[in-house]
Amino acid sequence: MALVDVEGLEFSYPGADAPALEDVSLRLEPGEVIALLGPSGSGKSTLLRALAGLVPHFHGGHFAGCVRVDGVDTRRSRPSALAGTTAAVFQDPEDQIVMALVRNEVAFGLENLGVLPSEIWPRTEEALAAVGALHLAERRTAELSGGELQRVCLASALALRPRLLLLDEPTSQLDPDAAERFLGLVGELGATTVLSEQRTGRALALADRVVFMEGGRILADAVRDDGLAWLAEHRARYLPPQAASGSGSSGGEWVCRLDGIRFAYRTGQEVLRGASLDVRRGEIIALEGPNGCGKTTLAKIAAGLLEPGSGVVVRSGRAGYLSQDPGRYIVRDRVLDEVALGVDGDQDRARAALDRVGLGWAGGRHPRDLSSGERERLGLAAVAVAEPELLVLDEPTRGIDPDRKAAIAEWLAEYAAAGRGVLVATHDRTFPADRRLSLESEALLAA
Amino acid sequence: MRLGSARRAVALSPVPAAALLAAAAVAALLLDGVLPLALLTAALLGLCLQARTRLRPYLFGTGSAALGVFLVWPFLQTTGVDVLWEGPIVPVLGQLDITREEIALAAVSSLRLAAVGLAFSAYALLLDHDRLVAAATFARRSALAVALATRLVPTLERDAAGLAEAVRGRGVEVAGVRGHARLLSPLVAGSLERAANLAEAMEARGFGSRTPTRAPSPPWRTADHAALVVGAALVLVAALWL
Repeated sequence: MALVDVEGLEFSYPGADAPALEDVSLRLEPGEVIALLGPSGSGKSTLLRALAGLVPHFHGGHFAGCVRVDGVDTRRSRPSALAGTTAAVFQDPEDQIVMALVRNEVAFGLENLGVLPSEIWPRTEEALAAVGALHLAERRTAELSGGELQRVCLASALALRPRLLLLDEPTSQLDPDAAERFLGLVGELGATTVLSEQRTGRALALADRVVFMEGGRILADAVRDDGLAWLAEHRARYLPPQAASGSGSSGGEWVCRLDGIRFAYRTGQEVLRGASLDVRRGEIIALEGPNGCGKTTLAKIAAGLLEPGSGVVVRSGRAGYLSQDPGRYIVRDRVLDEVALGVDGDQDRARAALDRVGLGWAGGRHPRDLSSGERERLGLAAVAVAEPELLVLDEPTRGIDPDRKAAIAEWLAEYAAAGRGVLVATHDRTFPADRRLSLESEALLAA
Repeated sequence: MRLGSARRAVALSPVPAAALLAAAAVAALLLDGVLPLALLTAALLGLCLQARTRLRPYLFGTGSAALGVFLVWPFLQTTGVDVLWEGPIVPVLGQLDITREEIALAAVSSLRLAAVGLAFSAYALLLDHDRLVAAATFARRSALAVALATRLVPTLERDAAGLAEAVRGRGVEVAGVRGHARLLSPLVAGSLERAANLAEAMEARGFGSRTPTRAPSPPWRTADHAALVVGAALVLVAALWL
């Protein structure tokens, strides 16, 4: 018997012009791992929410068709009644944290499910140990990095011992090694797992089956080999990409020079210890390194948003900075106005910038109505519209689908070729760059 | 919560710790003398200083509010005979003057405010709110709502900094009260969105089910019982003698 049975599912969010899901039918067998792929706004997150019962109970809207999870019709049961059978890890870990201490956070779901008190702490510790986060048990959740929070969220889900695990971009804030370990663990669980990922390589390596969505519909649903063949024929950019290497081009004269940068957020805890870096006109530099190594700090210093404790920063021109998770930092009620903010309200330039990131259609929309990937692109347009000499981007491909990522990479290459410098702090080893520098390496310190 | 010096700290269970802080706040409202209020405020300040992080905004908020009350209070009162300064006559307010008695009242009011603010700061900075919620034998949802609201302060602080940084990253300067005030509306909108996401995540994790259980908490120790006694005594002494 199938664990999940979706029949003719249609769903529209309240007030939406178009349905988020259309004629979706799907059966998931126990133990299957499904890679759920598709462009931003294709309905992947909505489908995951439907499987958790959050659509329609939490979001409202128009719902037709039927979703059964372990024989339970989700229309007739609250999501809280499905919890335990299902467990979900959503995109942004910061928005899922309820409790102040890590161990209490993991125990929260167990308490809600009515697990015997004597079993709660052992299961909490077991789940934390499984994700390699037992050492975080007594830490405050507010003090954890994004990567650590993602592990805590997964531990919270695993502690419930779900039969259906729903993961929406669960590795978006993890460095490649941590993401590898994270998904390796998911593969060992034995639970039916639906994994939505934009960095498709790891998801496809893990999956038994591939489901591809577009425009709210399922375009392909096949076992992995057939799914890979379908992708190769129809959506080749979703196939596992090769890691990009630097082109070796060293660009022209420098636009930003950092020399011997040291920085500490707290006394005695230095994040940067003598980092040096030149960004030259005409080049894209990818700044890499594991979670917490100081990429964001160095990027902010390059953009002039942080002052180093010591060292020299010289820029020849204005810098623009795109923060991590720019979709959270929205200041206007209309997409066009949001972008025009950086050019004194010049709407023509704002429209051109939106067109460049594929959001020309969204100018009149409210920014908070966009999907997370679309918001990332909106953030990019809002920073790049003023055409700063130095463009600093912090994880610009997070949540962005492969097609859009390729388009952005192409546009950034043109941007740099026009005599500007681009510095990208990223975990994405497939993002094309002229030079790739790791904050762990001596190369950066000696650059 | 931890009382005492950082090295020789006495850890209290959250319920007696919260009760002790509430008693300190009540005592501050009952006390009339400058000296006992100053001593209570100093004790609460010493407690707050044990927090390793996030202390500055709480101290700034409490300190500036207390200072504001101290400065404004004498102009809103017309009491006392020992005039220290005589000012002009202002429409609506009448003659502006400052008396020794008004300064004493201003000191009491500002110290009361400071003590209550510091008690809340200690609650926000030092207590294990999770265990406080877990200890609630009734209205657990309300207790959780209070705990989440308490956590909202640092989250808002972080979001405000991120918002200002994101805008500066686009080459737009955020300067002055007006510049920061413009970020207020997006900050509230972002908080509402965050709250909706959190509510969704909580429901997905079974919050609201009918038969929740609680993870076992460690039993109360002597210090916890003593804290309750000290809290009750503090209120009693403030009400009867000071």
